[in-house]
Amino acid sequence: MTKSLPLQNSLMLAPLIGATTSWSAALGLWLMFIVVISAYGVGMCALRSRLVPPACLLASILLAATLTSCVQMAAQAWSLQWHQPVALYAGLIALQCVVLEYNGFFQSPRLDRVRLCAAFGALMLGLGLLRELLGNGGLHLATLVPGGFILLGLLIAAHQAWARSTPSH
Amino acid sequence: MNRASSVLILVLLAGLGIGATYLAHYTSAPRIAAEQRLIDSRNLLDLLPAQSYDNQPLEQPLAVTNIPLANSTLLGGYLATKAGQPSVVLLRSQTLGYEGKIELMIAIDANGKLLGVKTLKQSETPGLGGKIADWPNAWLQAFTGKSRNEPGDTGWALKKDQGQFDQVAGATITSRAVISAIHDALRYFDEHREPLIGSGAHD
Repeated sequence: MTKSLPLQNSLMLAPLIGATTSWSAALGLWLMFIVVISAYGVGMCALRSRLVPPACLLASILLAATLTSCVQMAAQAWSLQWHQPVALYAGLIALQCVVLEYNGFFQSPRLDRVRLCAAFGALMLGLGLLRELLGNGGLHLATLVPGGFILLGLLIAAHQAWARSTPSH
Repeated sequence: MNRASSVLILVLLAGLGIGATYLAHYTSAPRIAAEQRLIDSRNLLDLLPAQSYDNQPLEQPLAVTNIPLANSTLLGGYLATKAGQPSVVLLRSQTLGYEGKIELMIAIDANGKLLGVKTLKQSETPGLGGKIADWPNAWLQAFTGKSRNEPGDTGWALKKDQGQFDQVAGATITSRAVISAIHDALRYFDEHREPLIGSGAHD
């Protein structure tokens, strides 16, 4: 079912590091992600059965690009200042949609989909909050990209240590 | 699920997509442009205390363009007024730092005292001279309240050059360039007070 998890996950890494310099940016990008993914899921659900497979890919690209552009413009009109730091990463949502489609994400059970989106959001918000707090606390490195990578690494290490200490989980 | 209907749906989808994107662009463009202007002006003007002006300084440019001074060039200027009286003159100054051009916004009040300096553009060494771009900036705040003659000409230099100002650690050339540009701007204001703000505001 999942053909290319590394691609899907590495695409999530870009916003995870780039758009989490503050928690508001992280929250904003995650909301945009949820809006686009939901609308895209509904749209593709209606289209998929009516299209031959090669046309499906084209339709998916068209739909993802349209939704992402519209949501981006809406976000800009709503608050440009808040949109500016995440603008670069918002464009990647379209690519993410196409990759998720290819991976069969939209055919997986609803619970799995919700869980992935929630995990992505929790990680984005957690990392954003952590980096903003550390940055305000004087640790300037936390707000830079290398600092983001280091923090993410530490979080993953902590998660693994925790998972190992509770093997019943 | 045949080829012809697929093509038709695709064409429809493309048309809808283009239409929706165009509509979104058309309705949001004026708002986005207005907000961009607001952000720009906030960036340029946040060195002024909010109560020191009540006009839109960026819409009141001064007749100052590309005036070469001793160590810098004045690119432009704006006048901030309060209750119709000139309160602050903003000068955009460009000077040469260690790596390249440095652009500063220098705010001078009607009595010739420096209100604030902000770095608009720079390409100095990150972590050394690049610190002049930090905002708020403790080093640039040290100049607030100074004027052309206070300190005197010899005081307007780094302590290293027998002046009275500290330098940014590890960035002598950058610091020298900024100090000279500020002094240039204050001198220009002092010598051109009349055309810049008229005579009324002099104490």
